[in-house]
Amino acid sequence: MASVYSVTQVNSYIKNMFVQDFLLNRISVRGEVSNCKYHTSGHIYFTLKDKSATLSAVMFAGQRRGLDFQLREGQQVVVSGTIDIYERDGKYQLYAKEIKRDGVGDLFERFQQLRNELEDMGMFAAEYKQPIPRYARTVGIVTASTGAAIQDIMNISARRNPYVQLILYPALVQGENAKYSIAKGIETLDAMRPDVIIVGRGGGSIEDLWAFNEEIVARAIFDCQTPVISAVGHETDVTIADYVADLRAPTPSAAAELAVFDYRQFEEQLQVIREALTRGMERSLERKRYQIEQCRMRLLMHHPERKMNEYRQRLTDMEEQMTSVLDRRLLDRKHRLALLGGRLHGLSPLEKLSRGFGFVTDEAGARVESVHGLEPGQQLDIRLKDGKVTTQIITITG
Amino acid sequence: MEEKDLSIEETLKELESIIEKMEDRDSSLEDTFALYESGMKMVKACSDKIEKVEKKIEILSEEGQNGQF
Repeated sequence: MASVYSVTQVNSYIKNMFVQDFLLNRISVRGEVSNCKYHTSGHIYFTLKDKSATLSAVMFAGQRRGLDFQLREGQQVVVSGTIDIYERDGKYQLYAKEIKRDGVGDLFERFQQLRNELEDMGMFAAEYKQPIPRYARTVGIVTASTGAAIQDIMNISARRNPYVQLILYPALVQGENAKYSIAKGIETLDAMRPDVIIVGRGGGSIEDLWAFNEEIVARAIFDCQTPVISAVGHETDVTIADYVADLRAPTPSAAAELAVFDYRQFEEQLQVIREALTRGMERSLERKRYQIEQCRMRLLMHHPERKMNEYRQRLTDMEEQMTSVLDRRLLDRKHRLALLGGRLHGLSPLEKLSRGFGFVTDEAGARVESVHGLEPGQQLDIRLKDGKVTTQIITITG
Repeated sequence: MEEKDLSIEETLKELESIIEKMEDRDSSLEDTFALYESGMKMVKACSDKIEKVEKKIEILSEEGQNGQF
């Protein structure tokens, strides 16, 4: 009977085989990336596949230095590391120490090389970058005459400002001769002196976009007098043209937005300015009118007629005062007169007469005050209040 | 063509400074009016600089001649 082993023993045995195998300890495997997952821990789990087989792979967080690009589904790569078995589940895996791009890896290295070269020459330097004009009236475009790129640019441009003049140089944007076509396009348009030039194309693989990594294109952009906006591929595609250009747009549509100003906004801005000027003018006039009104009122305050009226008023007041003083004095006098008159009247002999007293005179009219010198039979006149009585003395007593 | 474009931008800056000056309380009515007039002229000039004709895209041939889309 054959020996019976435990699972652990079998897995351990197989593990040993892996450990002792020189080839598997250090192996480079070429394949296509699929099922790529970036774990939060920093480990990357993926599968390498070719036409007929798949192989599980992992790059642990500690090995991440061996990867300098974003690993993605569909990429052709060369993974270097160890193939080993995880004893616990008996599954074998490729433990990656280094991952490089393949097939296009060659191209990618060329890209990096040229990029570094041109950067060292200073072609990407900020001091060579020109600002993109804000109110461009002619826009040159170097791109394919068919395809989404030119359509997008045309649509967005028309929407923002239908009065802008677009000039298209229809270029080859991929293939062997693309670089010559693109460079010639840039030169031709530059000679026409538009306000800005857009250079680009729609999305594609690194091979499709390769023309925009060529040195001849980079130089054409660098030597171009007109400001250049590069718009190659999608947002994540970066080419050398993007580094050299005065401005990089992530897509052709974005390039159109950057190159073409919004006409409606421009008109609105002018309208706002017109209104501000008018308001400023109106305020100034208002201020002056106010100042004039102030002066007018002050002049009126000092008008001669006003002075005259004032004087008249004062005269009238004085008149009144005088009249009132005189009237009072008059009244005063009248009162005193009446008083004195009353007193006089009280002291008047005629008053005495009215109280029953008589005024006695003799025939000669002389006043008689005493009985002395009077004789009976003498005639006396007695004046009473309402008449005179002639009397004769009968007897005298006293 | 570049000069014309710069002058739209510069004109707009000028207009900003004109408006600021107009808000100065101490300036005379004559000065304010002169600023107003020149400002309005500039606005018109800006507007006129854009030729309001819708333009079709020009397509160059290999030799740099024009065609239509």
